[in-house]
Amino acid sequence: MIPAPFEYRRVDSVDEAIQALSEGTDAKLLAGGHSLLPLMKLRLARPSLLVDISRLQDLKYVKEDGDRVAIGALTRHHDVANSEVLQELCPIVSYAAGEIGDPQVRHVGTIGGSVAHADPASDMPTVLVALGAEMQVRGPGGVRNVGAGDFFKGLFEPDLASNEVLTEIRVPKTAGRGWSYLKFHRRAQDWALVGVAALAQNGAGPSVALTNMADRPLRAAGVEEALAGGADPATASERAAEGTRPPTDAFASAEYRGELVKVLVRRALEEAQAR
Amino acid sequence: TETGQTQLLRYVAVDDCGVVMNPMIVDGQVHGGVAFGIAEALYEEVLYDESGNLVTGTMTQYLVPSAAEMPSFELDRTVTPSPTNPLGVKGIGEAGTIAAPPAVINAVVDAVSHLGVTEIGKPATPERVWKAIRDARGGAA
Repeated sequence: MIPAPFEYRRVDSVDEAIQALSEGTDAKLLAGGHSLLPLMKLRLARPSLLVDISRLQDLKYVKEDGDRVAIGALTRHHDVANSEVLQELCPIVSYAAGEIGDPQVRHVGTIGGSVAHADPASDMPTVLVALGAEMQVRGPGGVRNVGAGDFFKGLFEPDLASNEVLTEIRVPKTAGRGWSYLKFHRRAQDWALVGVAALAQNGAGPSVALTNMADRPLRAAGVEEALAGGADPATASERAAEGTRPPTDAFASAEYRGELVKVLVRRALEEAQAR
Repeated sequence: TETGQTQLLRYVAVDDCGVVMNPMIVDGQVHGGVAFGIAEALYEEVLYDESGNLVTGTMTQYLVPSAAEMPSFELDRTVTPSPTNPLGVKGIGEAGTIAAPPAVINAVVDAVSHLGVTEIGKPATPERVWKAIRDARGGAA
């Protein structure tokens, strides 16, 4: 199918983008387009105006910023995956970026676009929740910061007003912490049937987040509690399905996902502990 | 055996074909046929909901695998010229597709037969394999 009719405007700055978005209630940002355009072609999304920010060079960067790494929202997945800064300082992010879609998607899709789309089956939102990452959002009223745990409010529902722009994502440096991101999928380019991001114990405690087990990325609270109490991966992973509401769809039933997540959590924890 | 995920390690195909006019094309035809036979055994499935609506209506849900999911195929052939035409040629495009689904399904069943599984429906998705294992164990996962 083809999209419903829409207007198109390319802007040269974030402020121009905010202005364009504020003109109606029906405008959407266009970055890589790999989440939005398929929805428009199925007519599940029908924005009347597309505001193209894909060429804003000042939102494409990966740089150290104190105890964090700052990633510009328009950085392509390919560049996130190949960033030496991230590979050294926060490798779970660069690894997860390399798991997204296929090479064509990774060369066009952006980290900001994936995050703002807030699909619970996406890899990057889950990893950011496990990390406790921080999102920087700019709107007509100024700049605000949102923690990843609060940013994903529901199915395709990010904490973003219709005239706000996600400008930066800040992830903590994780040097020395074991990590693992396991994506269970049938074909190389498929979304995760179930995914698990695990970060081994540090001062803040182990963190485990799940892809596609609810309407948003979920921390596996039961598993984290068991681990904090000294349980080994096999025992802790038995609690992996607690609090989850996995979907039943063409790929798998909720029942199977609920069992699969336990196996994946155990494997992810073992891999994180071995790193 | 924990997730039901199938990974093809090797695929060997020996075809008795007619006179080979272009070996590269014959190999390519077998590759394509085998790939789609594997797809039928492990990936492709048409699903409807309770109201009769097609659920697998796009290429994201109707799974057609790519080279990334396939092992490298090992091919060989014997040549029996066809008696029905001057060149002795036969078709080769369907050979792979006919043999591959039963070969793959039988291999999947064989791989988990030690757990008591005797049959698995087609396509042998991870969930189907996982359920077959679970049912063979008497319901325990």
